[in-house]
Amino acid sequence: MRLKIDYNITLLVSALLAIGLVAVYSATSSGSGENAYFQRQLIYAVTGFLIMVSMPYLSYRFLERISYVLYAFSVLLLVLVTFIGVKGFGAERWLAVGPIKIQPSEFAKITTVMAVARYLSDRDVNVNRLKAFITVTLLILTPFLLIIKQPDLGTSLVFLALYLPLLFWAGLNGFALFLIISPLITVLLSFNIWALVVWLILISGFLYFSRKKWLILLAIVSVHIGIGFATPYMWDQLHDYQKNRIETFLNPEHDPRGAGYQIIQSQVAIGSGGVWGKGFLNGTQTHLKFLPAQHTDFIFSVIAEEWGLVGVTVVLLLFLALLIYLISLASVVKARYASITLIGVAAILFFHIFVNIGMTVGVAPVTGLPLPLISYGGSFMLSTMLMLGIVQNLSHNRYQM
Amino acid sequence: MHEFFGSFMIKKNILVALIIFFFSILWLGFFNLQIVKQDTYLQKSLNNSVRKETLLPVRGLIRDRTGRILVDNTAAYAVAVIPKVVKTAVLDSVTAFLKLDKKRVLKKIKRNSGFRPVTIARDVDRKKLIYLEENRLHFPGVITLLEPKRFYRDSVYSPHLFGAIGEVSVEDQKRNPSYENGELIGKSALEKEYDAELRGAAGVVYKMVDASGRELGRFDNEFNVAPQHGSDIFLTMDYNMQAFAESLMTDKRGALVALDVRTGGVLAMVSKPDYDPRLLAGKIDAATWNKLLNDEGHPLYSRAIQSVYPPGSTYKIVTALAALQEKIITPEWQVYCPGYFKLGRRTIRCWNAGGHGDVDLYGAIKGSCNVYFYKLGLKIGLDIWEKYSKLFAFGSKTGIDLPNESAGLVPSTQYFNRRYGKNGWTKGNLANLAIGQGELLVTPLQMAQFAMILANRGTYYRPHLLDHTYNFAEKENSFYPVEPHYVRGISRENYDVVLEGMRRVMNGGTGWRGKVPGVEMAGKTGTAQNPHGESHAWFITFAPFDIPEVAVAVIIENGGGGGANAAPVARKFLEKYFYNRLIPRPAPKKKIEEELVPIDSLILPMEIPGPMLMIPSLEDSL
Repeated sequence: MRLKIDYNITLLVSALLAIGLVAVYSATSSGSGENAYFQRQLIYAVTGFLIMVSMPYLSYRFLERISYVLYAFSVLLLVLVTFIGVKGFGAERWLAVGPIKIQPSEFAKITTVMAVARYLSDRDVNVNRLKAFITVTLLILTPFLLIIKQPDLGTSLVFLALYLPLLFWAGLNGFALFLIISPLITVLLSFNIWALVVWLILISGFLYFSRKKWLILLAIVSVHIGIGFATPYMWDQLHDYQKNRIETFLNPEHDPRGAGYQIIQSQVAIGSGGVWGKGFLNGTQTHLKFLPAQHTDFIFSVIAEEWGLVGVTVVLLLFLALLIYLISLASVVKARYASITLIGVAAILFFHIFVNIGMTVGVAPVTGLPLPLISYGGSFMLSTMLMLGIVQNLSHNRYQM
Repeated sequence: MHEFFGSFMIKKNILVALIIFFFSILWLGFFNLQIVKQDTYLQKSLNNSVRKETLLPVRGLIRDRTGRILVDNTAAYAVAVIPKVVKTAVLDSVTAFLKLDKKRVLKKIKRNSGFRPVTIARDVDRKKLIYLEENRLHFPGVITLLEPKRFYRDSVYSPHLFGAIGEVSVEDQKRNPSYENGELIGKSALEKEYDAELRGAAGVVYKMVDASGRELGRFDNEFNVAPQHGSDIFLTMDYNMQAFAESLMTDKRGALVALDVRTGGVLAMVSKPDYDPRLLAGKIDAATWNKLLNDEGHPLYSRAIQSVYPPGSTYKIVTALAALQEKIITPEWQVYCPGYFKLGRRTIRCWNAGGHGDVDLYGAIKGSCNVYFYKLGLKIGLDIWEKYSKLFAFGSKTGIDLPNESAGLVPSTQYFNRRYGKNGWTKGNLANLAIGQGELLVTPLQMAQFAMILANRGTYYRPHLLDHTYNFAEKENSFYPVEPHYVRGISRENYDVVLEGMRRVMNGGTGWRGKVPGVEMAGKTGTAQNPHGESHAWFITFAPFDIPEVAVAVIIENGGGGGANAAPVARKFLEKYFYNRLIPRPAPKKKIEEELVPIDSLILPMEIPGPMLMIPSLEDSL
């Protein structure tokens, strides 16, 4: 019997899982034989792998049909977790079911993608109509708000990261995309008056060629000017710790013992690794346990310290290959539902990878997002593998309409 | 729909280009750190001046029922090395200075190859410690650590109750993966049983250090985690009673177990000979250890729960209850005891050579008549005997909260067939079992539990030392769950019959020396013969008769007759229990004949297994 699996995905995932296990082993080894973290992670990985390769045996129609139900269920769990959730590291995010701890926010990611894909795949829905636009916004905003309330900023941002790619793939027109993206750029540039002025001129030029009504254009430009000048005042209104976090991201050395501690230690670990790394189990920063959360959020620093730039490049290429493959798959599958879901999964994975690795190297802020397939953790591992299992299913049924 | 698919290729290329762009940013970030600035960071990593140290939690105390502290903590210092830093020459001089076995130290360091300090010597005396501290610069990679050790309050002894703590072994870590290398954990008795409660949780402190490892101060208190105090445990006993019981057993070999029959709580549990628990606290001297290990009195061994003995005549109570419940006899059933008994061609004598004459069940229990019970044993048969033995929980562990308890042995038909062959054993074996001799083996704790079952007429509670633990973080007591268990299928009337017999034992019967004045009691003596020498003296009892509070079992190894040698020990214990003093006794007026050892038994009891020493090796304990 031929297995119903996509060998490209399976191979890439297996390679990344293996690298992850080696890294977790190194990050948690105490020097003696037994390593409970590694053994548990091995169990998670094997279980996750089995879940992934068994997903293609589910009916594609069934998956499509239960999308809304799954979405409703995960929103319900998110509501539940705010009331009866278990505290883990200060934030309410666990739901205890007997001996098992469930992190509903992990599973909400994929169910949200499936629900949006289901909605946008309907023939009567046009993403460029206001009604469809608002519906998609609400579908994504609901879990986002529930999770940010937990408060789990990192995970909630994943939902925002889904927003643009899904709309873009579903065919949102360029003008609407411009309306969503440009204010963000205005905010970023508002701290430098000259950059802001140049940017506003560029906007005006773009708008001039869009041939919309004058009144609309005027309104857009004045909103931008308003944002541009209000942002510095808003900045002053932020809490000190919030400012601190952003400033630390921009310049870690400014607070080496407080918020910058993790970033500096991570960078020392990475930088001291050099081209070839210090070798397996020889990372001094890792084994002195200077890095907090080195087996979860900062696992990539361990890889960088022990395997050097060579190891980093290999892992980055593997992730890149996986993402490009997912996007290519999205452009060849016949069904809209499958196509949009694939883009959603790719967006979730990309956001996790970029923010996590970027955090260790100092190009993204410290948010506490784990690295898919590599970081230690059962709930995250299983939800990632479930997501990849759904991808396997879509790949297997790529010719279904 | 069409528009949707039409633009796919362009969209795909846009997304792929974006992803490659972002990945390039990441890669350039690593390039910058690992190639351009590698030297800077390598230097930083070498000088990284923060060291993580474990803060040991305070181990919980062991207290008695009244809250009196029995086992406390005191400060001691340990010397540790950091394997990746320490040089061979330094290691040589340190091991020589501390007079350590270098091979053992090297072996230990090999198991821990990282940057975590590995303790090589514990409980180091102050002079040596000061020398090491003063010459710190000459010993890079060697550090000193504060490490509490157990401290036993004055007049506290009882090593078999408290046990010792020692360094975690590979086996311990397999059993419980949360134990870290080099950690001190409970190794035996209560310290082991309640290790999870007692040990608390370690904390972490980050310290600034210079290149030679000298501390420059704390790093940042925000990252430090305070250690969690271990729970105190409170025992069910009043230690005054325990200490008194130990004094009663001084210079004897044997055990005493006293239970509160209303809860199963242990009031006293003594095993002698024992040793001073202070010998195994902190640094253990190899010579002391070997002396304890090789002492032919086996002081490391807790006789109360680990040693197994034939119970002797105390077991006649089981035989009697089995016969009554199965309606094989009535209490009025009589046997004529001429002082001997003939089985086939052999003659066995009763301990009372003159004979007991005509005896009914009451008289047979009171006078402990062997002839009566030989005959009774032959009447009930092995299978019923075995059934009732197991009903009274013999042959299985009591489940007391101490490790390494023995289960004893209740032989069955299958056991005899396996041991002697199908036709290799005779009725003689059975007759022997009926009077508690032969292959039957019990622990002193099981006998005390049996006395509790009799006192409560079938209801019993799992024997336990722990009353409650006190958790410092939650400021909460949690109590040992006291739940009743029942011996099913034995009627109240039958209990009344044997208990009446046991009451007579105390009033003019073989156990008269165990009688506390003014307290009505029930008891039974036993004299278990043993191939290694003088018989073992047994006595079980409970009191007061009508509203029982306490059950006691005493065994004196090679002590001779149970009535003469074990019963007085129980009496003194109970006098202290009821009157808090010893009652002076007038010289006995009437002479009651000693219970003698049956001279000609059918079969000698099986070889008693030598004490099974389940004691960690010296290496683990260092």
